Amino acid sequence: MARIGEAAAHVASRDALARASQRAALIPDLLVEARRVTNTVISGWHGRRRRGIGENFWQFRPYVEGETMSRIDWRRSARDDHIYVRDQEWEAAHTVWLWADQSPSMLYKSRAAHVSKEARALVLVLALAELLSRGGERIAWPGLTDPMTARNGAERIAARLMHAPDLPARPNLLPPRRFSDIILASDFLDPIEETKEWLDTLAQRGVRAHLIEVADPAEESFPYSGRTEFSDPETGAKLTAGRAETLAEEYRLIYNARREELSAWCRKLGWSYTVNHTDRLASEALAKVHLALSADAGIGAV
Amino acid sequence: MGFLPLSFGLPAVLIGLLALPAIWWLLRLTPPRPQEEVFPPLRILARVLKSEETPHQSPWWLTLLRLLMAALIIFALAEPVLNQRETATTSGNALAIVMDNGWASAPDWDVRVATAERLIGDASDAGQPVVLAFTAGRSNAEIGPFDAAIAREHLAAAKPQPVPVNRAAIYARVAQALEALPGANIAVLSDGLASDADEAAFSALLSGNAASLTWVAPTAVSVVGLASSDNPAEALTVTAVRATSDALPRQVTLGGYDNQGRRIAETMASFDAGAAQTVAQFRVPFELRNDFVSVSIDGERQAAAVRLLDENSKRRRVGLISQAETEGAQPLLSPLYYIRRAMEPFSDLVEASDADLSTAIPEILAQRPAMIVMADVGTIPDAARDELIEWLNDGGTLVRFAGSRLAAAGNDDELLPVRLRIGQRALGGTLSWTEPQPVTEFPATGPFSDLAPPSEVTVSRQVLAEPTSDLADLTWANLADGTPLVTGASRGDGTLVLFHITPEATWSNLPISGSFVEMLRRIVQLSRNQGRIDAGADGNKAASLAPYRMISAEGLLVPPGPDARPLSFADGAPAVTIENPPGFYGTDEGFVAHNLLPADAVLTPIVKPQTALPITEATYAFDEAVDLKGPLIALAIALMLLDTLAVLWMGGAFARRSRAATSSMAVLALSLSGLMLASALSPALAQERQTSDDAAIQAISQTRIAYVITGNSSIDNVSRAGLSGLTRYLIDKTALEPGEPAGVDLESDELAFYPLIYWPIDPGAPLPSEQALGHVDAYMRQGGTVLFDTRDQFSTGFDAGSTSPATQRLRQILSAMNVPPLEPVPADHVLTKTFFIMPDFPGRYSGSPLWVEASLDAQRSEDRPVRTGDGVTPIMITANDLAGAWALDASGFPMFPTVPADPMQRVLAYRAGVNIMIYMLTGNYKSDQVHVPALLERLGQ
Repeated sequence: MARIGEAAAHVASRDALARASQRAALIPDLLVEARRVTNTVISGWHGRRRRGIGENFWQFRPYVEGETMSRIDWRRSARDDHIYVRDQEWEAAHTVWLWADQSPSMLYKSRAAHVSKEARALVLVLALAELLSRGGERIAWPGLTDPMTARNGAERIAARLMHAPDLPARPNLLPPRRFSDIILASDFLDPIEETKEWLDTLAQRGVRAHLIEVADPAEESFPYSGRTEFSDPETGAKLTAGRAETLAEEYRLIYNARREELSAWCRKLGWSYTVNHTDRLASEALAKVHLALSADAGIGAV
Repeated sequence: MGFLPLSFGLPAVLIGLLALPAIWWLLRLTPPRPQEEVFPPLRILARVLKSEETPHQSPWWLTLLRLLMAALIIFALAEPVLNQRETATTSGNALAIVMDNGWASAPDWDVRVATAERLIGDASDAGQPVVLAFTAGRSNAEIGPFDAAIAREHLAAAKPQPVPVNRAAIYARVAQALEALPGANIAVLSDGLASDADEAAFSALLSGNAASLTWVAPTAVSVVGLASSDNPAEALTVTAVRATSDALPRQVTLGGYDNQGRRIAETMASFDAGAAQTVAQFRVPFELRNDFVSVSIDGERQAAAVRLLDENSKRRRVGLISQAETEGAQPLLSPLYYIRRAMEPFSDLVEASDADLSTAIPEILAQRPAMIVMADVGTIPDAARDELIEWLNDGGTLVRFAGSRLAAAGNDDELLPVRLRIGQRALGGTLSWTEPQPVTEFPATGPFSDLAPPSEVTVSRQVLAEPTSDLADLTWANLADGTPLVTGASRGDGTLVLFHITPEATWSNLPISGSFVEMLRRIVQLSRNQGRIDAGADGNKAASLAPYRMISAEGLLVPPGPDARPLSFADGAPAVTIENPPGFYGTDEGFVAHNLLPADAVLTPIVKPQTALPITEATYAFDEAVDLKGPLIALAIALMLLDTLAVLWMGGAFARRSRAATSSMAVLALSLSGLMLASALSPALAQERQTSDDAAIQAISQTRIAYVITGNSSIDNVSRAGLSGLTRYLIDKTALEPGEPAGVDLESDELAFYPLIYWPIDPGAPLPSEQALGHVDAYMRQGGTVLFDTRDQFSTGFDAGSTSPATQRLRQILSAMNVPPLEPVPADHVLTKTFFIMPDFPGRYSGSPLWVEASLDAQRSEDRPVRTGDGVTPIMITANDLAGAWALDASGFPMFPTVPADPMQRVLAYRAGVNIMIYMLTGNYKSDQVHVPALLERLGQ
């Protein structure tokens, strides 16, 4: 009988060279896919459409007394008797931190899924990076890059990821400051107390987090049956179930309870919690996260 | 195992059963291997799983299943046999089987064969030679000694015969054969009935150096035979006999059958207790009894239960008497000539040696004929007259023909059916107004009533009957004017018939018509033989009769077999032997019954011979020993399958389906796994056939140019685009509108659908298989053409001997085919003129010649611009990369530049393609068409 799930690519060996080439092979594809996914979303993501500090021309407006002379656009003003000031479009840079879990458990891919969880998480994060950098936001990867503004932010992150040394299983969450957003894509399968404790630092410092739970359909529906030996890809621990199908109901209960609790906790903090299954489209999650990002921070808070 | 008829060949193996507890202990410790799964949310699962204990042991029923399996295999290895039969004596160093296969052994032949088979099997186990003889077989049949395999073949080929056994002869032969095999065990498989020379036969058989006797006889002989039949006036009686040892009262049913095998009467016969003989009577009307051909006992499948009756169709003896002097000198005018010719097929003709009636008539009467035909006999001498009248009154049939003597002789009340007028009547003579008279319908009262009247027969002369009141009753045939042609009357038990015409064709043409034969045959059927003759009394009469219908050993009437010989009466009553099996002899015109049992037959049971040899007695029985080894192993394998299914089930193979589906799946897999495989395969095959049919229909519904798929996608794309471009050009310029080009895979596709196959040579591609090259070769020989393109006009090296890889590959390909001699297209080849006038055939490159089959026998003449010659070249070779020049991209622009980049060269390349394609489709037609202008000119147009 064929196995239901497998590890998509074995990163456990931690061989640096292999990892680099793997990433090199994986990430450009993901980048392309990320761009494709982005294109479907970007129609709702155009600029601030407001006057402000920025590089792009927004409008000419009559000079008002008191404004600094240096803002006068002399070329325009020479055309007629009025004096005009060139306004730039407001491009308030917002810092969005991005992080995708790359632990061994993310490599899991069941038969029902199209991609492994890691691939999906990276696609989502890189797509968001693409979206955000096109919007002119400052994006960053905790522990990997500092916040940066670049048109090709996604490529840069991808390139950095490709050459990155081993990243810690959990990022250092100290750099994100107040008012910045952080997008965390992971499977959040650790015990909920640990997750909460880990994310609490963010909550304390007023960072708004957007959690994307990437879930494999097999993890959720538990399609196993018969005598089955389950092994944890992270710890290597093994469990043998005599009749796996008898466990399904109880397992699903606990699995969903974890998700519910995490979701409720996020809602309480004003954070968003999005579930994306690897057998569904990435753009679904992307649209949701995009919505959560563009929503006012205060609305979500209870 | 006292309660079961079970025994073991190797009981020691059963000790292996002691190992079962150890196996049990081992099995308990080995759980089935779990399915291994990676599962990231293991920690969540761990919380759930805490409560459940993990089974480290197999479930008890699985252990039981496996223990059972082990036990079954141990039992099977111990070679158990159910119903073990006792082994027959295997003493002695040879086995002689003497088997009765006479008529009495037919009903239970199978069990006899099984018994003999068993004896041969024992002999084969002991390595003894086997002598096998059949007492009713041919006396020169091979009896061995054989080895067991050949003896089995002889046994299988042997059949019961519908004849009595001939023990004396066969036993003597067996004794002779055993002289070389001292110490043999003689097995006598008797049919239970004694024969005449039994005592002598057994003493001959057992007097030799035999070691022992195995006596196999049926426990009871229950055959019933029909010994004799009689057909007196009131009923047909049949005598049934049975074995004298058969003492219980018994009733049998007898059926009477006609010559078509239809059952037309039946009756019962009862044997009283202790009686060995009984008489059954068929009380049916005489006419029906005449139709009886055989009587048989229902349910008796043997030859003696059938009695053949030949009374009705027995060949009659017919005496012929004539007074004419012209015998021999003028045979066609001889009075008896036509009678003889008419009656020969269905009767035995008796003629007197002396013409003098006073000696001829007694001589013929001594033969006891059924019928006497007198051709124009006038006065019968008194010396013979009384004897003749006596014979007539006792049942003889006297047929007389008129003639000048009879007409002159005057009336004779006793030997003529009617009173005659003296003289004769002539019709249609020179001096007469009357016409020759035809024959009318036969009177309904006469014996000819169901014959068709002969319309073509006319009578020009006859003797006339005195008109009396009873003349109409006596008339059997009339002329159109109402005068009688044939009259008949009964005299005592006999019949007297007068034809009022001569037996030759002088008075009437009746004797040369078919009706004459029919009428005589009808009269013969009415006659009855007057007793049996002594065969020895008449030497020339003892003709032998060919076998006509034989009684088979099962008591059925069958066509004669190869052993049947004609029945000869030369040496007295013939005996029933293998050469003369019971049945009918003769032809369907008349036959003689040759019955199995004589009238005085008594069926006495056989007596076991008195001998000093040790005797083993046995009875006929089927071998019912069942070797259980095979079934037990099969059962073990079935359990193994079950075990596999159980392990799969425990591993969760079926659990993803619904519960109901699981159980039904298990049942299905258990019982029908092989069947499922077969049925799963057949629709797949049908599907495949379907798609290939569709492809073929698509391929032949339009003319399409094909290219060989080389496997190199860039080359294939160019081929496809090139042929598409050529197709487009053809549609533009010519009446030919080909379909989309087709790619063919040489290994699998049918090539016959395409007139031209373009084959770009790819040196990098693997060489096609020999089978594929064979296909191409066959395609070329059956009229297809392959256009090879090496595309290497400018990549060949400069020195003369160098070849490009593509050319080398082409040589490799062609070396596996039958390639005709080639030549570059000559200037007057039809290819240069099929559509455009083309001096050469450029492609992307120019300069390479186009090689075609050399037209060796082509005729050239000065006034013809084109050579003539039949056929289309099966092969063309170029290096000009034609497809490259033809190839167009999606927007209709050329894909590749020509070398040199000359737009005209591309046009010429297309024209070359058009010429090639038209040449393919029209052959050498154009070589004739070039003369059309000249022809038209000559016609004066």
